[in-house]
Amino acid sequence: MNNTGMLKRVLEKGAFAVTAECGPPKGSDPGVVLKKADMLRGSIDAVNVTDNQTAIVRMSSLAACVLLKEAGLDPVLQMVMRDRNRIALQSDVLGASALGINNILCLSGDHQSFGNQGQALGVFDIDSTQFIQVIRDMRDKGVILGGESLSEPVKAFIGAAANPFADPPEFRIVRLAKKIAAGADFIQTQCIYNLERFERWFEMAKDRGLTEKVAILGGVTPLKSAGMARYMKNRVAGMDIPDKIIRRMDGVPKDRQKEEGLKICVETIERLKELEGVRGVHIMAIEWEDIVGQIVERAGLLPRPACGKD
Amino acid sequence: MITAEQKPIEEIRAMMAPYKRVLALGCASCVAECAAGGEKETAMLASVLRMADKMNGEERMIKEMTLERQCVNEFVLQLDRVIEEYDAILSLACGAGVQAVAEMYDDMPVIPALNTEFIGETKERGLWVENCLGCGDCMLFDFGGICPLARCSKHLLNGPCGGSVDGKCEVNPDIPCAWQLIIDRLAKFDALERLEKIYPPKDWSKKQGGGPRKIVREDQQK
Amino acid sequence: MKESPKARVALFYCRNVPGSSEEERQALEKEYGTHVRLFPLACSGRLEPVHLLRALEEFADAAYVITCPEGACRYFEGNRRAVKRVERTKAVIAGIGLESERIGIIIGNKEKTKTLSEHLHELMETASRLGVSPVFNRRGEDRG
Repeated sequence: MNNTGMLKRVLEKGAFAVTAECGPPKGSDPGVVLKKADMLRGSIDAVNVTDNQTAIVRMSSLAACVLLKEAGLDPVLQMVMRDRNRIALQSDVLGASALGINNILCLSGDHQSFGNQGQALGVFDIDSTQFIQVIRDMRDKGVILGGESLSEPVKAFIGAAANPFADPPEFRIVRLAKKIAAGADFIQTQCIYNLERFERWFEMAKDRGLTEKVAILGGVTPLKSAGMARYMKNRVAGMDIPDKIIRRMDGVPKDRQKEEGLKICVETIERLKELEGVRGVHIMAIEWEDIVGQIVERAGLLPRPACGKD
Repeated sequence: MITAEQKPIEEIRAMMAPYKRVLALGCASCVAECAAGGEKETAMLASVLRMADKMNGEERMIKEMTLERQCVNEFVLQLDRVIEEYDAILSLACGAGVQAVAEMYDDMPVIPALNTEFIGETKERGLWVENCLGCGDCMLFDFGGICPLARCSKHLLNGPCGGSVDGKCEVNPDIPCAWQLIIDRLAKFDALERLEKIYPPKDWSKKQGGGPRKIVREDQQK
Repeated sequence: MKESPKARVALFYCRNVPGSSEEERQALEKEYGTHVRLFPLACSGRLEPVHLLRALEEFADAAYVITCPEGACRYFEGNRRAVKRVERTKAVIAGIGLESERIGIIIGNKEKTKTLSEHLHELMETASRLGVSPVFNRRGEDRG
């Protein structure tokens, strides 16, 4: 069964899209990826595959995407700017297209100092906004950077990330606008715990007419414990976890914290569904992919729309 | 200026081990400014090395000299009159100076006493910060005088990234987010709309497209 | 009669230290002989650490500088920087295996001012306690 392009079709149909995330293994076993595919199948429209996230060496995103595609899912190839120059990046876009991997999400990437190869050279030849534009031109004009023609253009459904919670707050919308102007078709945001702040950001995006130009999917991550909540609040850059969420997690005994985390997650999705203009949700259940199905079900998002290829 | 810091003393001593007549050669320019290789630092290092030799029962002659600039051949030539006295030079210059001396006296081992670091400014006494990458295609005007290549950890030209928090870089909270600085600076000039357009990819060929770089000025030649 | 001390010291000081007139200095040098070298300075805050190192290298088991009490220095920041620079130099000599107390800075006390002679006596005790510097052989024979 070939579900490539599912995300695009769901969004075109105007339905509320559901995407999830899958981290490839720190090893060469394709079985790990296929197991995650099994957990997610039927609950989601597309699944992002991270690209050496946190600068930790993992199976390549493109390889894992191919495995997921063959397993019947619609993969989203994440590409960071940290590890490859424009030659390699464009080459990978051609390769992805040849393999039928058309969803590409462009990211800067975590700095190399965060991972397990601290002595590596960070490439950062071009940035994610420029790369969005490069892919768009490879698709719409059939050219690479510099204008030389491709023998065959790519098909691409271009994604970008947005963080409503990073600084400077007044500039975040400008950044979003730039990515859209560069050619982003869809946006996935950083995970949301502070709904008020998200809604303020979303309103500003709406005011600028951006929500009509691009499909914005709100990100969510289920909390597993109060400890995890605190860690993310204090140690992860660009996260906003309000104290009331920490208190909620602290307020239940340890063996009920997972459930509380799931409740918060589902409530957030319910709110996203209500917000006019939010086109879907992106569920990042890090190393907890088997919970995605339950979240999607509890949020009333099953069954997924049947958007077979016509 | 170019900044540098002294290598650990054990590393220096290990490199000096085979040599018995060493000239500690300082430089009065950049490395003096960052208190790593000027006349004072050269005197101190030589004294400490001599003491270490005595403590270890090692026979070695170490003398000091400081050149105005070790990276300018005309100054390096001043060594002609003393070079015969030594079997190695311990250079406290930046990498450019070390190599200039090594090339001038190409059968003389030249040991670097410093680790050369970056092009930067003396922000205040005792504080030096990197602010230039030598990209060969200066864009400082577009960014209000703040270099997004040298000062943004990810070289973003359409920043900031999602890790900028409280005006600090995700890599290290001691590092200001260059994009926060750029936004604040352009706001002062009322020029924020400049950042609304997508800045195109950097032409890195001006930095490394032709291999190691060279400048030739015939009007400056003899 | 004073027991002849084995230790050798170098002492740098500014003329603000009581009992440091030219006459008094000469008297002390006569009393201690080759075991002591006294260096008067215009401002001890401007002492370069290399002078302490050269003293250690050439003859001293201990080399110290006396500065004026906090706030009393005419050159204001001179003292504070001197303290930091000597701290760094201590780390440097520790790096080659020399006891960091062989150099040091004595900050004059506003209330209980000591004379140069008193400072010198204390320094000799410190140096004796530390023993002959490892820079020199056991009997200190190779000192300059």
